[in-house]
Parts: sequence; structure tokens; C-alpha cells
Amino acid sequence: MNTTVVEQRPETDVAAREIRERVGIADLIFRGITRTSGITVLTIMSLVGLFLAYRASEALRAQGFKFLTDQAWEPDSRNFGIAAILFGTFLIALVAITVAVPLAIGTALYISEYAPRRSKQLLISLVDLMAAVPSIVYGLWGLFLLQGRVTGISRWLTTYFGWIPFLHVDGFDKADPLAGPAGTLTSSTFIAGIVVGLMVTPIATSVMREVFSQAPAGEREGALALGATKWGMIRSVVLPFGKGGIIGGTMLGLGRALGETITVYLIISPVFSVQPHILETGASSIAATIAGKYGAASAFGTSALFAAGLALFLVTLVVNFVAASIVAKSRSGAVSDA
Amino acid sequence: MMRQRFSFVKSRRGLTTFMTLGLSILVMTIGSPAQAASYVPVSGAGSTWSQVALDQWRRNVVQYGIKVNYAGTGSSDGRNQFRNGTVDFAVSEIPYGLKDGGVVDSPPSRGYAYMPIVAGGTSFMYNLVIGGKRVTNLRLSGPTLAGIFTGNIKNWNDPKVAADNPSLALPARKIVPVVRSDGSGTTAQFTTWLSSKYSSLWNAYCVKAGRNSPCGVTSNYPVVPGGGFTAQSGSLGVSGYVSQSANVGTITYVEYAYALNTGFPVAKVLNKAGYYTEPTASNVAVGLLGATVNNDSKSSAYLTQQLGGVYNNSDKRTYPLSSYSYMVIPTRQEFGFSSDKGYTLGAFAYYFLCQGQQQADVLGYSALPINLVKAGLEQVKKIPGVDVKSVNIAKCNNPTFSSTGANLLAKNAPYPPACDKQGAAQCTTGTGGQRNTSTAVTKGSGSTGTSSTTGSTTTDTATTSGAVDPAGGTAVQGGGLTGEQSQATALTVPPSTGWGIEQTSVIVAGIFLLGLVIAPPLVARRLRRRGGLTP
Repeated sequence: MNTTVVEQRPETDVAAREIRERVGIADLIFRGITRTSGITVLTIMSLVGLFLAYRASEALRAQGFKFLTDQAWEPDSRNFGIAAILFGTFLIALVAITVAVPLAIGTALYISEYAPRRSKQLLISLVDLMAAVPSIVYGLWGLFLLQGRVTGISRWLTTYFGWIPFLHVDGFDKADPLAGPAGTLTSSTFIAGIVVGLMVTPIATSVMREVFSQAPAGEREGALALGATKWGMIRSVVLPFGKGGIIGGTMLGLGRALGETITVYLIISPVFSVQPHILETGASSIAATIAGKYGAASAFGTSALFAAGLALFLVTLVVNFVAASIVAKSRSGAVSDA
Repeated sequence: MMRQRFSFVKSRRGLTTFMTLGLSILVMTIGSPAQAASYVPVSGAGSTWSQVALDQWRRNVVQYGIKVNYAGTGSSDGRNQFRNGTVDFAVSEIPYGLKDGGVVDSPPSRGYAYMPIVAGGTSFMYNLVIGGKRVTNLRLSGPTLAGIFTGNIKNWNDPKVAADNPSLALPARKIVPVVRSDGSGTTAQFTTWLSSKYSSLWNAYCVKAGRNSPCGVTSNYPVVPGGGFTAQSGSLGVSGYVSQSANVGTITYVEYAYALNTGFPVAKVLNKAGYYTEPTASNVAVGLLGATVNNDSKSSAYLTQQLGGVYNNSDKRTYPLSSYSYMVIPTRQEFGFSSDKGYTLGAFAYYFLCQGQQQADVLGYSALPINLVKAGLEQVKKIPGVDVKSVNIAKCNNPTFSSTGANLLAKNAPYPPACDKQGAAQCTTGTGGQRNTSTAVTKGSGSTGTSSTTGSTTTDTATTSGAVDPAGGTAVQGGGLTGEQSQATALTVPPSTGWGIEQTSVIVAGIFLLGLVIAPPLVARRLRRRGGLTP
């Protein structure tokens, strides 16, 4: 704790008393440690960025602006760019968020508002446990169990809503009774997105739950006293209060979904062209491309992968930064306390 | 205050007890396996083509205290990791130095040598159903396969497929070729065949996929966007995809073992002599009689294979896509490879070159012939730190060995039945993992399907898992073809003692997991009851 020593001066001195702060040794040490670790984290982060940029420079210099516009990924033929894989990354993340957000809001509301007090902690730790399941397990589950069962939904969607451009599936003939899902409906953005969505649900849930549970008791009681039902109270107090948390949790989930690697790698059948049809076989993501290609990459190919990694690093950084600032703002108490 | 102090003392005492306990456990663990003290874990990475065999061998040598870690990440990754010095050995179907996509896969700077480990056939596993019944006797010729995997043959009822299969009423279903998305030795084997036999088709396809022509051998299968292909990672990935019941119409290239393990049939491939054959151990052995092996022991590519002779082998029993797989072994102590590791890797190599080969057949591979085993045993000597043994190869019970030196497995390989001949109404008997399921004739009249088995394998696939189970202490007998073989050295497997450090750690891990679920709510509740935490 800081000790402020007010020095006694002779009364004749007209000038204001000088206030000096003497910091205790314990404080100094503590401040030193926290400062060092803070700086270390920042340094490591920027070194990672610098390293990526350094290793990527060869590929970036060779490809120039085309790196952002080319779709193919054939670095050894000097024909590569992140247009397709960056688009694919966002598409998978978008599907994931579409799955995760309703699920997360529901779970968070149930835990914070409806769940009996006894089971609350159990539910919280179960959700946390869901976050602790390794991504390879989700990947195998998605590949071997979910895929075969979810293609029915894909088929239904594209049969009846195929006129919406992004739900169209090239090569799918709804009149053909023999048309199986293989080659048309499997390994798609949609399936990868569902699995990734389940993976980002826990983190979104915990952020939202925390914010929901901070909704001021006075306002809750006020709403109830005015005759609101429980759902009415949630709509008028908890949800508006937790808006920041919902947005922040979504963005954090998005950040994670963008970088999800092994699950996506296992499920998708990589294509290197902009593929906006989410139900169709063939998807792509930066992280999965890196995971799939680094093993067999030449020196230049590795540099190209580093360039892709740099792009992902920057995108994720921005998304997480925005998310963190929204969450922080929502916690600073936009609504009056009870 | 007093109470706090007391509890502090108590917890300190608890800590001391805990530490003593931990220390004693540590001492016990270090002390116990004295007999295997000199074996240290070695790690490798690479091919998934040969992973089924490697994994079996790895499990088998655990009983000797040899621990071999292996990551099936694809041959390309294995070679890269070996070059970078992150693994002790790599397993790959193709050697270093090949040009892929215009870039030479440069050899590592560390000392290395190739050692053949097992032979096998790159098979075409498929999932096809006619009238609700799984087809198990599909036959495909080279041009048909090339057409399928270059996107030129798109439907199962294509006239070319129908010409290969006169007895099947093929459905108007799409063919979905499933290829590898990672850098793969299986892809390299398949594209070697494609580029040498059907180069114009192959190059045209490559150009369509955005590669430079001529495409040649590649470890990364090019995929045309929107071409109806599906790419999956790893042998397990492609075979798992094909074997999903909903994925009817798919076909992939994968080592025969994966078809056996997933219980799916493989296509019989037309050979030069005009017979459709299955990649059984004996057909692979016959096919590989045509392989040219680099016999220049001075060359860095010593023992590597040239497969042109296999593709064009005119023996009726040949499986045309037969090949060997190699281990890339270190020959110098560098990149963390110590003589202790060399000792372990050497012992492992002696095991799989000798006893390990007898299991090749049941696993879905083919045993190495005697000349390659001999050469391999010579290569083992190059591993630094190896305990050089003189192995009496007559006692290895390798099904290819005979006292005369001829390849017994190939010599005794059964000839294909008449129904496997091109043009004839095809055999109804099943293949691969569906060997016991025959397919009814759905088209044409000539039902000449015989009940003779197409392979020489005397071991039924159904008994495979039991026969190779190391825990059961069964020494797998070889093909047991003839008395010409010398008596097998019995594989002494000590009966499992039941409880070991592994079992204990599994229990501890289980308790940990349980604690992870149960502890947080309990702790939180207790804290709340004490008033330390408000909900």
C-alpha cells in the first residue's frame, strides 16, 4: 500500500506543501513483477508478429499484391494467394458463430437465470469441460459421426432453399434418387462450421453468463415488482444490460473460430477457389491450409504459409482486440448500479 | 491466529509426507525396469501407408522394453521432419531427391540411408451398392482407373467401367474419387504409376488443376475446384470417408491394410497379362519380382525402387501397383540421435526385418523378399550405436524364404481363376475386407464365378485381430505354405503380469478427469457456504 508522507514545513513557507510519495519495497517488487510480465507478453506477441513477417517476406515480395487476390495455392508454381482461403476462413467462422451464438445465449441465460442453485456450478463446469475437449476429438467426432447424419439437413436445405445463392450446391440433382451425399454434400463449410460452432460455444457462454449475472438486482426486482414475468424481466433488464457481453462473447468466439485448425483440417476437403456455397463439398481455411501443407512444403512454400499465417495473425488480433474492448466497456457499468 | 498457525504447520507436514511419497515413487520407477535400462524411446514420423504394420511391430516390441513412437503424418512430413532433425527416423514410400511440382525435395544434410521395411499394394477401396447390396467384386483396368482419377470417367455406368465388369448392372451414380489432401507417399506411388503409364491424361488433368506440365510424380494430389473430387487427410481419413455408409459411390487409393481394417472391398486391377488381381501378399510378391532395386551400395539412393518393371510384369498373378516402403535411418550421431537411441532403433529394426515380416500378410502387406531382408540387415549396421547381431534369416519364418533362395511366397502364389480374365464374366467372390461376401451377378448370363479364393492367404481376415494380438502372447505363424520353411523361432511373450505403471497412470488419469468434473462445483459450494464467495 502506498504511504503518503506529508512533510511538515515551517509555517512561514507560503508555497504549497510538496506531496511526495514513498513507495514501499513490497509494492516496488510487486509492480516490477507485474510490469515485467506485462511487457514480456507484449514483447513475445510482437516478436511472433515480426518473426512471421520476416519469414513471410520472401513469399510476399515474390507475389506482391497478387497475394491478396490470387485464389490458388501452388506456391512452387508461383501461383498462390489468400483470397480463397481467407474467404473460406471467414465463411466457416460465420457458420460457427451462427450455430454458437443462439446456443451460447440460451445456455448462459439458463445458467444465470433459471438453473437451480445446486446444479448451477455443475453446469458451469460442464460447459468449461466442453472447452477442455481437445479439438482433434471434435474433429474425429465431426468426421466419423456427425457428417453422416447432418448431410440430411444439407440435402433438405439445398433442395428447398437452393435458390438462395449460398445454399446452392453445384452438381446436386434433387431429382436423382441415387445422388448420395459423397462428393456433393460432405466435407463442406457447413459441417466444419457446425463443429467449430460447438467448440466456440463454451467461451461465448462463459463471457455472456458472467455479464448476465452482473445485471443489477435492483432493476431486476424493479421489473418484477412492476408485474413483469420472468421472461419479461430478462428481456427488459438482463438482455439490454448484457448486450456488451453478448457482442463481446460472440467476437471472442469468432476469434477462436478463425484460428481453429485441426478440426477443420480433418473435416473439410480443401479447395483453393472462392467457394461461397456453404453446403457443397469443398471448403478452405488458412489454419487448415497451414496444417495440411507445412509438412510437404518446400522452402518457398513454407514462406508462403508464413505469409498466410501472418494474415491470420493480423485478422485474429483485430477481432480479439475489438472483442476485448467491447467486453471491457460493457463491464464498466453502462447501467446504474443497484 | 493460533488455529491458523496450527493448520499451517499441519499442511507443512502434509507437504513433507507428500514429497517423500513422490520421491519414493520416483525411485521405484527408476529402479524397476533394470533389464531394459539401455533402451531409450526413439521417435519417428511419416508414411501412413505402412503405419498399420509399424504400429503392430511397435506394440510387439513393447514386451522387450523397446519404446518406439511413431506419428503417421504422411511421408512428405516424415522426410521433412527427418531433414530438420526433429525425428530419429522417417518412413517414406519415395526417396529424397525427387522433383515435385518443379521443386527438388532436397536430401538432408545429416547422414541417412534407406532400409526397406515392408511391401504392399496400393489398393483401390470403394463403396458401391447395387440394389441395396454391397458390390465386392469390382474390376478396373488401368485406363479406367486413370480416367476416374483424372475426372474423365464420372459415372459408375460409364461404358469403360461396364466393360471391365460384364456381370454388374452398374448404377447411374456419380463416381466420387477421394484423394489425399496432405503430402503423401501413397499419392506419390499412385502418381508415379499414372505419370508413367497414362502421362497425357495425367498432365492434362494437372494443367486443369493449375499445375505446371509435365506434372510427373507428386506427393500432393492436385484437385480441380468443383471437379467432384473429395480430399481428406491421411490414409485413415480417406479410408474412413469411403467407409461411411452414406458415402456410396466413393473410391480411393490406399494401402490394402486399410481396406481390410475397415471391412471394405478393393478393386481388382488389370495386369499386363490380362488378369484382374487383388493386392494380396502373394500377388504383391509376384509383382515385385519385376522391381528394379538400386544395388549400388555406394549410391545415396541404395536400395530404392524403380517400379516400371512391376507395372509391366507379365506374370498373370502380378498386382501392378505393388511397391516397397522404406525407413530413412540416421547414420551419424547428430541432431540428438545418440548411440543409446541407435541401440534401440537397431533392436527394433532387427525385430521387424526378421520376425515382423511374418505378420505382413495378415496385416494387409507382403513380406520382404530375402535379398531385401539381407540388404536391410546390412543397413542396420550403419546405425550408430547398434548392437550388431548376426541374424540367422532362415529362422525368421519369413514366408518368402526358402532354402534354395527363391522367393517362396511368389513361387507358390496361386494363379488367378479363369473368371478373373479380362472379358470373361467376372468372379463373384469378394475382395479385401469383404472377402467372404460374394456379389450376385446382376447383368449378363455367364455366371462362371468360382468359389476359389483369389488370394493365397490362408488366414481369414476375421481371425486377424486375434492372431496378431501381442497381449495374448500368440506368435503369429507365417503363411504356413510349405514344409520347406525352417522351424520358426518361437516368439517368447511373457504372460502379461497385469498391473504396471501404465495401468496405475490410467487410473490416476481417470481420477483426475473425474475430479475435473466434480471438484469445481463442490469447491465452489463449500466456499460459498463459508461466505468467501457470493454467487
